[in-house]
Amino acid sequence: MTRRTRTGVILAIGLAACALAAPWLAPYDPGRQFSAYPFAPPMRPHVIDAGGSWRAPFVYPMRLVDPLERRYEEDRTRMIPLRWVSGALVRVDGAEPWFALGSDALGRDVLSRVAAGARLSLGVALLGTVIALAVGAAAGAVAGYAGGWADAALMRVADLVLVLPGIYVVLALRGALPLVLSPVQVFAALVLVFSLVGWPAAARGVRGIFIVERSEEYAEAARAVGAGPMRVIGRHLLPASLGFLYVQATVLLPAFVMAEATLSYVGLGFAPPAPSWGAMLQDAGSARGGADAPWLLTPAIAIVMSVLVVQLAAPARDPLLWPADNS
Amino acid sequence: MPRALACALLLTLGTACRSSAPSSDDAKTTGPVRGGTLVASLRSEPRSFNRYVDNSAAADTTDALTQARLVRINRRTDELEPWLAERWTSAPDGRTFTLTLRPGVAFSDGTPLSSADVLFSFAVVYDPKLQSPLASGLRVQGKPLQVSAPDASTVVVTLPAAFSPGLRLLDNLPIIPRHQLEPAFKAGTFGDAWGLTNGPGRMAGLGPFVVSDYVPGQRVTLTRNPHYWRKDASGAPLPYLDRVVLEIASGQDAEVQRLEAGSIDLMSQADLRPQDYATMKRLRDRGAVTLTDVGTGVDPNVLWFNLATTQPSRGYLQKQEFRQAIAYAVDRDAIVNSVYLGAAVPVYGPVTPGNRLWYSENAPKYPHDVARARTLLAGIGLIDRNGDGMLDDQSGAPVRFSILTQGGNIRAQTATVIQEQLRQAGIAVDVVPLDFPSIAQRWMSGSYDSIYYGFQASAMDPAMNLDFWLSSGSAHVWHPEQGSPATAWERRIDELMQQQIAAPRIDDRKRLFAEVQKIFGENLPGLYFVAPKVSIATHLRVGGAEPVLLDPKILWNPDTLYVKDGASAPQR
Repeated sequence: MTRRTRTGVILAIGLAACALAAPWLAPYDPGRQFSAYPFAPPMRPHVIDAGGSWRAPFVYPMRLVDPLERRYEEDRTRMIPLRWVSGALVRVDGAEPWFALGSDALGRDVLSRVAAGARLSLGVALLGTVIALAVGAAAGAVAGYAGGWADAALMRVADLVLVLPGIYVVLALRGALPLVLSPVQVFAALVLVFSLVGWPAAARGVRGIFIVERSEEYAEAARAVGAGPMRVIGRHLLPASLGFLYVQATVLLPAFVMAEATLSYVGLGFAPPAPSWGAMLQDAGSARGGADAPWLLTPAIAIVMSVLVVQLAAPARDPLLWPADNS
Repeated sequence: MPRALACALLLTLGTACRSSAPSSDDAKTTGPVRGGTLVASLRSEPRSFNRYVDNSAAADTTDALTQARLVRINRRTDELEPWLAERWTSAPDGRTFTLTLRPGVAFSDGTPLSSADVLFSFAVVYDPKLQSPLASGLRVQGKPLQVSAPDASTVVVTLPAAFSPGLRLLDNLPIIPRHQLEPAFKAGTFGDAWGLTNGPGRMAGLGPFVVSDYVPGQRVTLTRNPHYWRKDASGAPLPYLDRVVLEIASGQDAEVQRLEAGSIDLMSQADLRPQDYATMKRLRDRGAVTLTDVGTGVDPNVLWFNLATTQPSRGYLQKQEFRQAIAYAVDRDAIVNSVYLGAAVPVYGPVTPGNRLWYSENAPKYPHDVARARTLLAGIGLIDRNGDGMLDDQSGAPVRFSILTQGGNIRAQTATVIQEQLRQAGIAVDVVPLDFPSIAQRWMSGSYDSIYYGFQASAMDPAMNLDFWLSSGSAHVWHPEQGSPATAWERRIDELMQQQIAAPRIDDRKRLFAEVQKIFGENLPGLYFVAPKVSIATHLRVGGAEPVLLDPKILWNPDTLYVKDGASAPQR
């Protein structure tokens, strides 16, 4: 494993840990609204007070000066100490909130929502990607190794799904389900829908690799020493497809995150107030987030980081995964 | 009128009679300038230029620019003004009006206007095969007006019943050219006339502009009507502008960005969202735009429950106490502060304080009081039975309902605040953001718990909005088109509104309508929370704008709009 891959894996584990630990990381319930603090900017922790003295980490409370202009001022006459590990990793006591990454249009803490949203958005996208790749790899392996009618049948089904416009298929499939679903049901439905839409591309790629690799000397040698089809596929041919599957993962993961955003936007994904990253980005767009409240783009940064982590974790130069390089 | 049309239709919520004079911070101008092009945005693609068949905002905008009525309601003063009819007399019964057409008025193709065109317009709008969306606004107690023409310049209009607003009804009817459209009408193809392909360059209108070009997805170009009849105070012919270009923008974000970039002069559906205000204020401070505070909006969003379809397992959804509890449980100030950034006022009924003439201070109000809400809910058997903090009904099922609303805008945000507030009161709410067609489809089929939506107000006088108030109305959204009133309070409102529209004295009408608002506020078929403060931004080069609360907020007087750099400005 290369250093880059190792870094990627560590970051991926860290990301997953953050998602799992979201309730502990988030200072507030992601749905909690501080209606007096819409579009509050991030509140920077301080260790030096206005008089120049060192203090334990604290923040200055924010005061809304002009609601329509969304202008806040720090109230430097008071300090609110940050408390470590008291129900959440870091939080403040009292009625006044601390927005480490700012607040959104309804005064909800962006950090809490991004942390909670990681579970939903990454969970849906990751699980959808894994299942799509697993199904695609299995179908591609069978089609590529067996050939004949199995290949024809599986690839016609894959072609059928591929030629359908993906987003409309997703919309139609989700639209066929009841309008009001619990978050768990929405999660399961989205994973199912994404898996259905995502497997054909993986299947076609794996099939192509299998068709090439099954006649290579190492595969022939394996068969010559008595390896059965399952061993040849599992031990020899499937590893040859892993590089492609990693690349597919880096394509499908962000696509599914954005598909979840689109579905949430049209009312077929997670319903408010579920803090999915996609729904948060939609809010940011309608609130001119990029210009007036750039902290609302935090979910976009989270999505980019997630994709980067996946790409880092993909062992691009591993000779086992890229046999062509080895040759 | 079909419900689909009613839903998309302008709900005139009996709102303010006189909008306040705009408190503009506009720079001083030096007077109207002739020539030049005004560029406005159009938020949606037009489906047709035929207002008789298309009720969309795009059709409404082009209609305001290209057509004219017999009489006009001045949107700023709310006075009835002579327009194509230069004067009128009324019979002692108050139901028959004799209108004299203005001499020398001609359509944009040069054909003189005559009473035959007026008769033709009425014949078309009442044609049952056409199902014109304009027809409902031209009926009194469901019956059409009787119209005759003793000569070429005289029209006699008889109302089927006493109706205090009288000729105000005629503001709903653009007069169309018989000589151009009669063949299509007789052939049964009127609905296809003045379409997107056969309209531009061929439509003959009485308004200040004619549609000369349409590029799908990009723009509608209108040029000066050479035969337009109005003149300004100095006797100079109107309109001042040579051209109006309506740039089609996909969404309000794109509109704001274009206004910010200076590529448009105004937004035809003009009011600013709260989140746009900071940007516009910066532009104003840089001297790029004029910001005008017009007043409190007259068409607030409404949450209504499905009172037409009984759900035995959740009968509480139809109980008055349940709706009253919601009215108490929602903190309107929280919505004002967060969703509207302070640019709104709490309201409790369909008639807002922006409606100075018809608003009643005596209508019930529901200050934020969660304890009172819980008491009301306990009174109908909704209490926390399992200690989870949420209410349950008698069978132990959690108290829960869904709100359908439009996704991606301020309505969805408000619904989310309502959801959180009701959660604190122990009521679980599922917010379901949908697009408008999906909401309309579910409304028409009755498959919904509640809907949070808004309708565009098109008139101030409640008598012009009987479709909303009467139980038989198609826009009686919580239980439309009832054969007979389903409840005693709806029967009472029906009676009061019938008296109200027939009462000759304005004081009597106000008293009766105040009683209607009181009954409405007690029974709450619709729950109202906030009304936005309306702010309008126009490019600094725009002159003659008199923004009002009713749509089209700026383009209602297109013939006196001008651009300050006039014809000297580069063509855009």
